[in-house]
Amino acid sequence: MSTIPLTPMKSHVSLTPSLRSEWWKIVSVRGQWVALAAVFLATLGFSLLMSGTFTAEQLAAPEFDPLRSAYYGLNFGGIGAVSFGAMAAAGEYKSGAIRLSLAAVPHRGVFYTAKLAVIGALALVVGLATSLTCFLIGQALMDEYGVGLGDPGALRSVLGCGIYLALITLFAAGLTMVARSAPAVIGTLIPFLMMMSFVIGDLDDDGGIAEFLPDRAGQQILLQDPTGPLSPWAGLGVLALWTGAALWAGWVALRRRDA
Amino acid sequence: MTSIDVVNLTKEYGQTRAVDGLTFSVLPGRVTGFLGPNGAGKSTTMRLVLGLDRPTSGTATVGGRSYASLDEPLRTVGALLDPGAALGARTARDHLRVLAAAGRLPTSRVDEVLEQTGIASVARRRISTFSLGMRQRLGIAAALLGDPAVLMLDEPSNGLDPEGIIWIRELMREFADDGRAVLVSSHLMSETAAVADHLVVLGKGRLLADTGIQDFLDEWTTPRVRLRTTEGERLRGVLVREGYQPVQADDGRWTVENARVEEIGPIAAREGIPILELAGEGASLEAAYLALTSGEAEFTTTTSPLSQEV
Repeated sequence: MSTIPLTPMKSHVSLTPSLRSEWWKIVSVRGQWVALAAVFLATLGFSLLMSGTFTAEQLAAPEFDPLRSAYYGLNFGGIGAVSFGAMAAAGEYKSGAIRLSLAAVPHRGVFYTAKLAVIGALALVVGLATSLTCFLIGQALMDEYGVGLGDPGALRSVLGCGIYLALITLFAAGLTMVARSAPAVIGTLIPFLMMMSFVIGDLDDDGGIAEFLPDRAGQQILLQDPTGPLSPWAGLGVLALWTGAALWAGWVALRRRDA
Repeated sequence: MTSIDVVNLTKEYGQTRAVDGLTFSVLPGRVTGFLGPNGAGKSTTMRLVLGLDRPTSGTATVGGRSYASLDEPLRTVGALLDPGAALGARTARDHLRVLAAAGRLPTSRVDEVLEQTGIASVARRRISTFSLGMRQRLGIAAALLGDPAVLMLDEPSNGLDPEGIIWIRELMREFADDGRAVLVSSHLMSETAAVADHLVVLGKGRLLADTGIQDFLDEWTTPRVRLRTTEGERLRGVLVREGYQPVQADDGRWTVENARVEEIGPIAAREGIPILELAGEGASLEAAYLALTSGEAEFTTTTSPLSQEV
């Protein structure tokens, strides 16, 4: 559509200055720190509340899953993750700040990569810290029913929970680049993630489409003995596909649209 | 020496042509005033130069390269587009640090431009608490951050106090005298007249004028002479013979349209007519601009635009 002669792309546009810039964008806005802290605190708080209040009968039940139970608060932490991802991306679209950003980093691929890298890395670090803390304290609270990091599936669930939070964050960030508004994405995605799989899951309880929704698929990684069509890593892979699609849509929007 | 070159630039938004086959250059060493009514395409052109919007056709380059391919964009072009373009939750200093980091500029530059624009004392306040004038100064600080070869300012005097307006005018002058290119849009004619060496005038996305400011004034205004004499009737006779049309006002003064003092003075002297007062009326940029754009308005209302000259 453009007749601008393509100027030869420089072989190596440095990513480092953009990474530094994106880092400053996040650390300089308190609301984004609050959302990140909420990921940790909400997940941990609700998880510990649950882990600490299981009755002896619940703990002894044959279907009791000590892994899944340690991350009971994950859906609440997911709200923080969605908020963080949406806010970090939407900061550009508040009052046209993206024009300044793109004037400083006109290479949109570099700009987008750096932004996602910083958002994703922060979410992953916070996510892993969250999951490890939930696991260690949660298992301790479950006394002899708790398991150790060396037990089958335990390490997988800790890593998976952290990755899950990072993927959910990036999912929200990608959608926000399309919608250009944090409230729109937060308002849509949270009900979608929190309720959709319950609603559809109730209608369709035998491993149908609900198993492939982002949250349901992604949380397979937390289960000690996963059932259904998706194995733990395959489930996380399905979530990664959702995230990838959102990020791709965000990229197409950023690349095509006038800023 | 870096210039902005716009060649055959066209930008359509749906059915609307915001910029229509525009060609002009912003050369180093002078201040180019960018004039035109609201919606004439000035801001769109600036966004196209920065690669923020994509042209429908044509090119806009800086130093012969598209903005997106510049090695050091912030050191090449400093732009003020919209003073509101900053996240209110950030402090002024953090806002500039974000930009400095992206442009590989040292943090010391942040403090320098904060001082230079007079907002160092509020640098650690959130931008949301800033007045329009302070935001404008912050926007200018962002434009100055890379000590750029080209300065591109959209309505820089918006919200500035009179002191600030003089300051920004002197700043643009210094940039131009330093051999850099300056493009400044303004709707204030007196402001533009005070600082610009060259004018680019747009109307409905098209180029109406690309000329030196003096040539522009000469072309679009008619010079006029006011005088007072003791022998009005004799002077009138002489001037009419010379092809002028002097008119006497109620206060006894005479006005001669389309005349210069260099013409009228010698005629009166030759005829020995005593002159008590003789003054040329300076042409104002505002009058010239209105003459040009009223021509454009006529142009656009005719059914067959090609048949009419502006």
